[in-house]
Amino acid sequence: MSEMRQFRLRIRYGKEGKCAWLSHLELTHALERVVRRSGLPFALTQGFSPHMKMAFGPALPVGVGGAFEVFDVVLSSYVPVDQALESLKACEAPNLPMKECAYVDTASPAASVAFSKSIYEVCLSEPLDRLVIPSVVTVLRKGKERQFETQDFLADEPRLTEDGFTFSLVSKDTGSLRADAFANAVLKASAEDAGSAPQVTAFTRTSLG
Amino acid sequence: MARTCIWDDIAPLLRSVERPGRYVGAEIGSHVPDPDAFGFCMIYPDTYELGQANQAVRILVNRAQQVPGVSAERAYMPGADMADALRAHGLPMFSLEGTSPLHEFDCIGITLPHELCATNIYEILDLGRIPITWDVREEDDPIVIGGGPCAFNPEPFSRAFDAILIGEGEESVPQVLSLIRDMRASGAPRADILRALSQVEGTYVPALYELQDGALTPMSGAPERVEKRVFEGFADSSGWEDMVVPFVECVHDRLNVEVLRGCSRGCRFCQAGMIYRPVRERSAENIVQSVMEGIEGTGYEEVSLTSLSTTDHSQIAQILQDLNARLEGSGVRISVPSQRLDSFGVEMADAVAGQRRGGLTFAPEAGSQRLRDVINKNVTEEDLMSAVRAAVNAGWQRVKLYFMIGLPTETDEDVAEIGRLATEAFRIMRELTPPEDRGRLKMTVALAVFVPKAHTPFQWEGQIPPEEARRRAQIVREATRFRAIKVDYHEPKTSLLEAVMSRGGRDVALLVEEAWKRGARFDAWTEHFSQEAWDEAASALGVDMAALAHDPLDVDGPLPWDHVSSGVTKRFLALERKRALAGITTEDCTFGACSACGVCSPSGPAICLQEERAHE
Repeated sequence: MSEMRQFRLRIRYGKEGKCAWLSHLELTHALERVVRRSGLPFALTQGFSPHMKMAFGPALPVGVGGAFEVFDVVLSSYVPVDQALESLKACEAPNLPMKECAYVDTASPAASVAFSKSIYEVCLSEPLDRLVIPSVVTVLRKGKERQFETQDFLADEPRLTEDGFTFSLVSKDTGSLRADAFANAVLKASAEDAGSAPQVTAFTRTSLG
Repeated sequence: MARTCIWDDIAPLLRSVERPGRYVGAEIGSHVPDPDAFGFCMIYPDTYELGQANQAVRILVNRAQQVPGVSAERAYMPGADMADALRAHGLPMFSLEGTSPLHEFDCIGITLPHELCATNIYEILDLGRIPITWDVREEDDPIVIGGGPCAFNPEPFSRAFDAILIGEGEESVPQVLSLIRDMRASGAPRADILRALSQVEGTYVPALYELQDGALTPMSGAPERVEKRVFEGFADSSGWEDMVVPFVECVHDRLNVEVLRGCSRGCRFCQAGMIYRPVRERSAENIVQSVMEGIEGTGYEEVSLTSLSTTDHSQIAQILQDLNARLEGSGVRISVPSQRLDSFGVEMADAVAGQRRGGLTFAPEAGSQRLRDVINKNVTEEDLMSAVRAAVNAGWQRVKLYFMIGLPTETDEDVAEIGRLATEAFRIMRELTPPEDRGRLKMTVALAVFVPKAHTPFQWEGQIPPEEARRRAQIVREATRFRAIKVDYHEPKTSLLEAVMSRGGRDVALLVEEAWKRGARFDAWTEHFSQEAWDEAASALGVDMAALAHDPLDVDGPLPWDHVSSGVTKRFLALERKRALAGITTEDCTFGACSACGVCSPSGPAICLQEERAHE
């Protein structure tokens, strides 16, 4: 079995529109079914319950879309990338468009660990005049509070856009600051500062690198 | 007028509710709505995860969509948090495909899958801004239709619906929709539409029946008795048709291929076994082809061959053999629900289990042979033991046994027999297992309280009270030996309500409405069920719920569902009851002689088997 050649196909896709409301787990199931429908020669794991060999880029929170997300699937035979993309596009879900395919070395890091920098854009119901960046963001998870120093996770300075703001975060081996937690903290601090209460109308990861 | 899309109003609510994926639609296989066409919205009266896999919704949305000029959408009951959020923000319940308010549709269809969904119907109509009862609906309000298993005793639901469709909807739903579409287009008044609907076979229009001296009497030419519809083309129709593949994790989230419809084993407590007659099998070729097309079209990794008794299919061995060969290496699992209680059933389970050996489930239903004869569960103790033996030999280590308590004529001895039977079966499991592996053996004995159901031979029988059920469960526990046998028994708070709904008349319709007004909804959910709401409603209306559930009904008297016919005659049911009390069994007519239940007729429905069915 170990001599059988395997090919790791890396796919870029969008998590758009209504599909921004899917959880990471829901998204992974949907992508597995796209691959199954496509008829691509996917490889299965050995064992009691064989499953597809897949890897997914860093998870997005529920309510956050992605313009250029990524997942890997291992194929048991080679399919030209154009043909692979065409097969995937033929059976994609309307809000999960398949955008690009490329083979990556099976020895290189998988999609789940290969990407550490994310750029996000937040659109608001009314623009802000000034961004207030809290130095610490407190996240409550499973009843435990954890404090994140924002400077440790920001790749550069967040800035205002025409209808909201944009920021980029890097993930660390020791943990990652959730994009929604950070955006909410910024929004709260900025809104208090300005005396307004803008609502998030769209939230998207525009780049993953 | 075109239906509006309120997505932009709904989206902001999604940040604060559980599982927002429930409300977004846009799944693979969902239809693109046409907001200008005649709108039909098919609704399941519970949350998306519970209702998405429902086959009635799948089939009827597809059928409705094929009707010229009709756009069919779906909706599911919002979770309690979303329902409250909609009210707090002044927003209506909406359809999934077009995010359109329910009240903007021309016709609303709600399936009635079980008795405990009744208050949800009112919640749905109210959230959708549709007047909750037919008597207060205006000309422009949607026509609200219902159907499904619980339609066979329609009275407890009768105030909510303009029309209730009895039996299979494949042909009647398109017929009814065409009629409403045409009459609405010509500006016909609502009352005329309802009268016309009452003339469509299998359609019950509650507004046209009046209670006179305890019996429902038809008016305006409505039929005395509404006969159920049977989809006679079932066996020849494809087992594959369009289906929605959900994003959100759902129950029964897999490809379902219905292999046969109906079951005539004739268990006397079982409503499904009476109302879905006659038995009709799809061919092995059709089923295998349907599975392959379905897997390709959906991308599912599991397929379930559904029916009331899949292993009774005359070609089941061939079907499983073909499917195993065709699906090899694809990682697609096959599942066969409702295990037949004999070694053949285990053989079939073994054929699809692959390397997985989870638990095997059997339903002897009663502990003693005497009581199994009373309920016409035609299995012997030896059948169970040989099934258990075969299961252990094939590698299973966990077995679950289903039993009912409170069955008609049940004595303490019968109840104790449940414990003895389970103990005996477990002893066999131990004997066949090497001592070092015996620690892994497990058995669950699941007990449920008997609920009398309309259109069954036991429809006249009463239910035992909760405290008596508790006492009998204790008898089972005491009669069970090994510690590895777990006796599973849940407090039957809702069993009483099920019995009330299952056999209630028009007075119960008022009770449901009152209970909903007092806060009852999601009655099937332990965390939402409100005993107080029902108790308050019952005392406000002077309804004795305990009497409705526990008192036997007069065998010679009228029944609240006499105006609805499942095809099985009341005379047959009464005869079956008599045979039950005498301990005489009746053979399954798909294996042996006709039992003259009344369903088949020379020019109408008939049994359809692909090959002769044989015992073993």
